[in-house]
Amino acid sequence: MNSRVVAAIARKDIVDAIRNRYLLVALTTPLFVAILFRILLPGISSLNTMTIVVHDPGDSRLVTQLRASPQINLVKANSAEGLANEVENSEAVAGLALPANFNADVAAGQQPEVTVYVNNKKSSIQQAVLKQLLEQQVLALVEPIPAKLSWIDVGKEAGAQPQVGFNLNQMLFPLLLLITFGMSGALVVPLLLVEEKEKRTLDFLLTSPASLSEIVLGKALTGVVYSALIAGVLLAINHRLIGNWPLTLLTLLLGLLLVVAIGLFMGSLFQNTMQVNTWASLVLMVLLAPSFPTPGLPAALETASRLIPTYYFVEALKLSLDGTASAKLWGYLAVVLGCTVLSLFAATWGLRRQLN
Amino acid sequence: MNAIEVAGLSRTFNGLRAVDNISFTVETGEIFGFLGHNGAGKTTSIRMLTGQLRPTAGRAQVASCDVVIERRRLKPLIGVVSENQNLYERMSGRENLAFAARLYGTGSKRIDEALEQVGMLERAADNVQHYSNGMKQRLLIARALLHRPQIIFLDEPTSGLDPVVGRDIRRLVLELARQGVTVFLTTHYMEEADQLCGRVAFISEGRIVALDSPDNLKVAHGKKALAVRLDDGQTLTIALDDQDAGARLEQLVTSGQIRTLHSAEATLEEVFIQITGRRLSE
Repeated sequence: MNSRVVAAIARKDIVDAIRNRYLLVALTTPLFVAILFRILLPGISSLNTMTIVVHDPGDSRLVTQLRASPQINLVKANSAEGLANEVENSEAVAGLALPANFNADVAAGQQPEVTVYVNNKKSSIQQAVLKQLLEQQVLALVEPIPAKLSWIDVGKEAGAQPQVGFNLNQMLFPLLLLITFGMSGALVVPLLLVEEKEKRTLDFLLTSPASLSEIVLGKALTGVVYSALIAGVLLAINHRLIGNWPLTLLTLLLGLLLVVAIGLFMGSLFQNTMQVNTWASLVLMVLLAPSFPTPGLPAALETASRLIPTYYFVEALKLSLDGTASAKLWGYLAVVLGCTVLSLFAATWGLRRQLN
Repeated sequence: MNAIEVAGLSRTFNGLRAVDNISFTVETGEIFGFLGHNGAGKTTSIRMLTGQLRPTAGRAQVASCDVVIERRRLKPLIGVVSENQNLYERMSGRENLAFAARLYGTGSKRIDEALEQVGMLERAADNVQHYSNGMKQRLLIARALLHRPQIIFLDEPTSGLDPVVGRDIRRLVLELARQGVTVFLTTHYMEEADQLCGRVAFISEGRIVALDSPDNLKVAHGKKALAVRLDDGQTLTIALDDQDAGARLEQLVTSGQIRTLHSAEATLEEVFIQITGRRLSE
């Protein structure tokens, strides 16, 4: 293996892809999608921590409960009268005014009045999340509560940190990453290879000191560089979400290699850009399918989704984002690695067969 | 010393013999023409000789390297100009050569030399997509010469080019041969082969059907004759094998009726048609 040759091919492709408007659009689409989400859902990035201003002269149990929630940042109000103004002129999503005898009233079965000042400058999503959260917390004050609900995540490892509250961002993040990788795998990488076939530049490469494996690796390196670059930007934007950094990075690297290898396999099958364009959207949909939230999926489809290699990447990513290093995670990563090696082997074999 | 040695080389595609048991040698510094109509097996032969395609049978040595076993050693010793203008169109001429230089591990100083050699130094910064066919062809040759190969394979190097560019490329080919580079040339232009090649091989349906110098082929397969055009517009062909040819010619000369006098030997094209039964351009 000649690393100079692999680097030369990758360098050429990296520069050339920027000049190819089609590839450039495909590569940057996930970034645009991420930006679009943030424009359409402006409060999404601040859902994880909400600031609430409170006036609580009686040190109520409700405020103690709220303080225990990692999702909420409580700020003490100076006075009950100025609370509305304070909310309006701050980044707080709401203000709570509680009576001094709140605890006693609750214990007596009375209904103390809690006034909530909602900051209308905040997004409707944030307001909805706040409402849901407060209702949950108020209900939790009643002792005994009318019914006790036990929530058990089936398949979740023992010791895994529970997810708190609304988590749209954490659902979108794997989707965005998979769009990035999927675009690279289903579109960019196959095109890098197919264009060489179509323009007959592959003939030049094959008469140069480059071997077929070096050509394939050079293309893979290009896909990895571009995907890693865009994934890096997405990670930077969403850095607060990452549970276990080393694990998440390892998962991303393996996932990235998987889709690049799938892309190379596609590139070895197709002969021209039209074929790639025709099939890419279908392949992209299949690759992305495991990242869509699908509650209540029929068992047959659930089983079928396990045949898609990216299913294991998405599951591993969810676990690593939760900060869970478990046998299950390692198992998923092993499947991802196995599929990558298989796809790379199939790509080289397919190309060699075609050329001979 | 032989630059290329081919013995019993064959290649089959799905039971169809594209190249059928061909054997020949090419000497170092020779310009060797490989001529055949479309689908005759020229490109398949070149692909085998340049290590791109495995032969089904037989063996070939190029620059003393076995084309199957020693492909890695072979590649830096050969340069290939494909009939397809397979350049990276979004890159400039210089960038194309710089990429090739990185693949071959050639210093960047050589890029300007190669560009100069083909007269492309001034347009090197332009994107290839803005080049004419002639400029692309020159750049392809510069890329093939960049690493100073011992042997260069030229597949239809002047096809579709204007006469001036064609002439420049032919000059370059002759210059390369003078420098000791072996040239393996395929062309549709018989005159070009006649002008450049020391020897030519005719390939038809995968087999070599004739191999010799253009002169020998013309003599062996053509008629020895003179074409005489008279003042009155009449054209006579005098076969030199005829017993009275000398007397007839003397009579015409002394009568002062001759306007022009030409050799009427067969052209290489006619020899090709005679041997293969087809025109080269078919």
